[in-house]
Amino acid sequence: MGPILLLTLIIFLPTIGAIALLAVPKDNDEYLRIGALGVTVVTFVLTLFLLGDFNTDDPAIQPVFEVIQVDGATEPPDLKLLANYDLSEGKVMRDGQEVQVQRGITIPWIRTWNIEYKLGYDGISVPLLLLTSFISVLAMMASWSIKKMVRGYLILFLLLETGMLGVFLALDFFLFYVFWEVMLLPMYFLIGIWGGPRKEYAAIKFFLYTLLGSVLMLIAMLMFYFGSAAHSDQTSTFDLLELAVIAQNGLFDQQMQMIAFVLLFIGFAIKVPTFPFHTWLPDAHVEAPTPISMILAGVLLKMGGYGILRIAFPLCPFGAHWAAYTLVVIGAFSIIYGAFAAMAQTDFKRLVAYSSVSHMGYVIVGMAVWKLSVDTNALHHWQLGINGAMFQMIAHGVSSAGMFFIVGVIYDRVHHRDLNQFGGLSKLMPWYSGLAAGIFFAGLGLPGMCGFIGEIFVTLSAWNYSPLLAIIVAAGVILTAGYILWTIQRVFLGPEYRGPHAEEITPMNGREFTVAAVLLAFAIILGVYPPIMFDLMGGSIELLTETLQQGLENATDATSTAGLPGN
Amino acid sequence: MSSETLTIEEFQEIGKALRFLLMVAWLLPLAGFAVEIFAGYWGHRRSKMASFLAVGCIFIGFACSLGALIHWGTLTRWGHKTVAESQHHEGKSEGEGQTGILDAGKLPVEFVALADKPTAHKDADNDDHHTTSGGGHKDAHHEGEHHDDHHGPGTPAFSGGFYLLGSFGDIEIGLDYYIDSLTLIMFTMVTLIATCIHIFAIGYMSDELVEDYVDHHAHTSDGKHVHRPGRFYRFFAFMSLFCFSMLGLVLAGNIFQVFVFWELVGICSYLLIGFYTERKSASTAANKAFIMNRVGDFGFLIGLMVIVTYLGTFRFADHEVNGAAQPGLFTMIRGADGHIDLDQTVDVETGNDVNVVLLKGVDGETLTNANGKNRTIPYWLLIVAGLGVFGGCVGKSAQFPLQTWLPDAMEGPTPVSALVHSATMVAAGVYLAGRFFPMFTTEVLLTIAYIGCITLFVAATIAVVATDIKRVLAYSTISQLGYMMLAIGIGGWGAGLFHLVTHAFFKSLMFLASGSVIIGCHHEQEMPRMGGLWRKMPITAFTMLVGVIAISGLAIPGISIFGEKIAFSGYHSKDEIVATALAFMQMNEQHFLLFLVPLITAGITAFYMFRLWFYTFAGEPRDAELHSHVHETPWVMTTPLIILAVFAAGCAIGGTHGPLWLGLLNSEPIGLATGLTGQLSGIATPSHDAVHAVHSTAGMYALIVAATGAFVAYLLYGAGVIDPGDIKQQFVSLHTFLVEKWRFDELYDAMFVRPVHIVASWCVGVDRYVFDGLIHRTARTTIDVSRWDRKFDEGIIDGLVNLVGNAVFSAGRSLRVVQTGSLRQYIMFIAVGVLVLFVLLFAVFPS
Repeated sequence: MGPILLLTLIIFLPTIGAIALLAVPKDNDEYLRIGALGVTVVTFVLTLFLLGDFNTDDPAIQPVFEVIQVDGATEPPDLKLLANYDLSEGKVMRDGQEVQVQRGITIPWIRTWNIEYKLGYDGISVPLLLLTSFISVLAMMASWSIKKMVRGYLILFLLLETGMLGVFLALDFFLFYVFWEVMLLPMYFLIGIWGGPRKEYAAIKFFLYTLLGSVLMLIAMLMFYFGSAAHSDQTSTFDLLELAVIAQNGLFDQQMQMIAFVLLFIGFAIKVPTFPFHTWLPDAHVEAPTPISMILAGVLLKMGGYGILRIAFPLCPFGAHWAAYTLVVIGAFSIIYGAFAAMAQTDFKRLVAYSSVSHMGYVIVGMAVWKLSVDTNALHHWQLGINGAMFQMIAHGVSSAGMFFIVGVIYDRVHHRDLNQFGGLSKLMPWYSGLAAGIFFAGLGLPGMCGFIGEIFVTLSAWNYSPLLAIIVAAGVILTAGYILWTIQRVFLGPEYRGPHAEEITPMNGREFTVAAVLLAFAIILGVYPPIMFDLMGGSIELLTETLQQGLENATDATSTAGLPGN
Repeated sequence: MSSETLTIEEFQEIGKALRFLLMVAWLLPLAGFAVEIFAGYWGHRRSKMASFLAVGCIFIGFACSLGALIHWGTLTRWGHKTVAESQHHEGKSEGEGQTGILDAGKLPVEFVALADKPTAHKDADNDDHHTTSGGGHKDAHHEGEHHDDHHGPGTPAFSGGFYLLGSFGDIEIGLDYYIDSLTLIMFTMVTLIATCIHIFAIGYMSDELVEDYVDHHAHTSDGKHVHRPGRFYRFFAFMSLFCFSMLGLVLAGNIFQVFVFWELVGICSYLLIGFYTERKSASTAANKAFIMNRVGDFGFLIGLMVIVTYLGTFRFADHEVNGAAQPGLFTMIRGADGHIDLDQTVDVETGNDVNVVLLKGVDGETLTNANGKNRTIPYWLLIVAGLGVFGGCVGKSAQFPLQTWLPDAMEGPTPVSALVHSATMVAAGVYLAGRFFPMFTTEVLLTIAYIGCITLFVAATIAVVATDIKRVLAYSTISQLGYMMLAIGIGGWGAGLFHLVTHAFFKSLMFLASGSVIIGCHHEQEMPRMGGLWRKMPITAFTMLVGVIAISGLAIPGISIFGEKIAFSGYHSKDEIVATALAFMQMNEQHFLLFLVPLITAGITAFYMFRLWFYTFAGEPRDAELHSHVHETPWVMTTPLIILAVFAAGCAIGGTHGPLWLGLLNSEPIGLATGLTGQLSGIATPSHDAVHAVHSTAGMYALIVAATGAFVAYLLYGAGVIDPGDIKQQFVSLHTFLVEKWRFDELYDAMFVRPVHIVASWCVGVDRYVFDGLIHRTARTTIDVSRWDRKFDEGIIDGLVNLVGNAVFSAGRSLRVVQTGSLRQYIMFIAVGVLVLFVLLFAVFPS
């Protein structure tokens, strides 16, 4: 399968599936569910193909095409997929010869504005693509609990998946924006129709918050579009790779970078979410149905982090460096604030939601600890931080999806989430409690489980940046242990169940067991052998840090040499 | 000395064998755990299969560990053989390559030049006052000097890696191993004690072998006892997981890996303390244990952060990173004779006036940074790193001020208390303080000593008034751990770890004996209800007595058989600590408390331990009803007691000439034998000779004090000459204060727990009232605006539009009169209209 077809299928297969579901009669719930599950599974398999194609030795965007110049032709040159190549000093070599290449798929879309259908992947997006398709399968398996308007639900779910995968594959800013918005609407309806008692409130809150972020992003996008004209063959472009090269050469002026970074960061920070843009999250989670909470926590929050790494940082290195301290402060504060807020919750799901705020704080901290290492003048500690942050995103995707699922399982039975009205579940639902304890320990950051690696690597990287903030970040471990253990005690331990509907408590069924067990298994695999992720993303992150540092230096030089373009 | 050396090949062969054996011992319990937890209870709750599996795993582990110890001992002549000096120097330069060739493709069994640095005899401590501003100062005068014959030069440690968790530039974080005699002794000790405790637990936990277990300590809301299925298998699964974690901690080859297993033993401790999940007290104690440990780990994390920032590696031993030699932590900090290389010139960039120069190897070469300058770490940050890591030890070893979790941890089943909360996990803090010793500056060491000193006294005083048999032992454990910390803090590295091993044996013995009592008395733990049990439980009573004598440090002075003193293990190790403390006090007179407090506490220790024994086993039964049901426990429980009693009595045989002591000393950090002196603090640790000089004096003091304590206990509780109740009456407020455990729990509750909950509710309030309030207000404002907008639209815009519309309408209506339907009339209108238009046209545009 050619990369164009593969990438397009990965994005649009869920849409095709959604259209196909329309053909199935409305009341065949079971067939509809199985069909939708099949679509997500196939999508997951396709992302595995993508993983197979992914060359971990090449840190830059893939797939790579060789550009074959036909003599005298004015038409765009032919492209041929390049399978075997070596890299030498960033140049693509084949048999010792440098080859001219084009990275990523580029198909003109709206020529008037130079908008392209540009897709591609690297070590930063591949893990997230895998996470997305993986969590989608599990969330779909968890969707059996949805009984109302099943077909509509499934169609929206699949459209949502298209939006998410598109965001992680798009390399054209406009295309990225389109997918970003595509994702928003299904989410709005999924919360607003299938949600809990205050679903309308939560859906609107979610929508408005995210829309605000989108608007800010739109402004920044246009800034770059029009700002790029001067540096890109006199044509404006939305191409993220080209924009990043311009930024790397320090050609976007400092003020613009600072403004654009603030706009982009707020846009993405809302999605992450970090303090103080986080209050949509608890409401959205509490009201959303279980599988949607899983998607929301497992994938949607990662888009904020991804956006920062893919867009905000590469396009404004100077701005990012300028704001780095604020970012670390925001991240550190989110960690502590989220943990404190989680501790005071009495609603099980709200607690898990606040734990997300706390855990995602590590992501921001890890990304922003931009400082040369003591003595070695290398960027190793920052690389440690970004790797930790990326790992934390994957780990949080697994553990928080698991935690929301765990909450959902018990909610489906007893129809309440009051932490003070549980207890004794370990006796009534032994397997459930065992798996739940495992997943909660993963969230607590226990070594040998996924949460540990991300948190600890970010924490370790932080001292090099700022000892004070590092200490604040490290203090998070105490609070996290506090609220998670307290929750386990109140829900699973104790002599008896204290809430209503005690007679409804039945052991997990096979489907529920599978979802929880798979999540726990991955939490352990990632925790015991993290290289499976670091090997994928390490190279790309190293490249990213180096280009950013270059971009920063060029942007700084540009002013010192009175506006002359650097390098 | 050719017979005293090993070639590099021989050395690596030994390393491979040790690595294999210890890996088996380490990983088998993990495999056991996986089977036990998933295969569950083999169909019915009465199956003992899980316990057999667990015992099998840990016993094979013991066999492997013992095999490794003997293998190492015979091939290195118990550490006296060193790697050939000439080859060793090649080893540093070419040996790396050799290593690579020998182990092509495999993980290299590297060797460390930590312990084989020549231990130079120094006639004065001026070397430690050495203050330099750069490398290369250490000339040949350190090399070629003859070795200290007292304990030999020692075989270097075996080290290498298993796999990397991640590598980021030069920072590599992975799982490694580091094997020296301390590792081997710890492995053997842990697996031996664990085997005994596992066997004991088959008996102790046998009441879980039922489909319907009635928990008499847990009640449902209607006041009934909780019924639940038996969880025999789960207990053994957790125990196996614990053994895996504990052995991993000991085997760890880098400080990060120690942290990993540190947390894992913590979670096992959590699971085992909270084993009776139905009891609120148990789950609360489990939470408390884990969270207080995390407070310590917060410090540990800070230490790790400083290390990774300034030293860039976590590994203890020298190794390779990206093909380049990278010194390990110990090499970087400590020079050939154990001193720290200071640079006192003020660093313009950082403003630090004292920096520690990082060394590249034994020969004193320094590491350089990208600018070609010496790589350094500010001295105060080295202190921070040391204190941070020690913070972790404080949590894990229940030292002041984080000691309160350990007594509560007694909620777990007694075998857990014996294994986790006395012999192994809580001792891990001491182990780490020992392992990490080269990184500690004298300021840190002094802190460690004082923390240990406070702890040993506070805990001992509480133990005097405790009446729950397990709690007495718990406080005793805290107090003994304090002794070990104190020893390490005053430079008695060997003494601290010696006491760790002996204490592990006699304390696990006493815990098991108390477990035997608890089973014999049908889960009664209050000593005031016991008394006179020795007649009914002779084996338990006498094995316990062995433990009591051992911990009290009693011996028969003046008599020796075959040149051996008649004394149990605790005598030797405690003696060594007291002797080190005395020697330390002689060198640092202002710190006299570090000698007096442990000496006095030795008496208190003997008192409360004999009090426990007399209270429980001697005299007349105080509760006849209870006493009539008491029985000796079955062989499966008494056999481990006897085995442990043998080791509690004899593991330290020979004292400071015995195998245990010499084996441990083989791994002693460099420079301790001749004493270290802090270059800034001026604190000096005593050399082996200094300790040896005061050994018999200190031993006599300790023995007198201990004997006094034991005698007082006999008077009060054994012979009944004085009524303890009277004394209690006399000092009622002091008694209450001690019974309330110095009120630490109340203090922490007021200082930390409640504030945390208050801040937590603030955070929620901020979200609800500030952020959401803001959003809601914005939303309301928007709605208001739109309402105005609507009014404006409807009233003004629409009004205007309607006005226009109405005007047009009325105009139309008025024009209706002209709409007659008459064709002629229309034509006339058109004609007139055209005429008028033309007229207007010409009028406006005349040309």
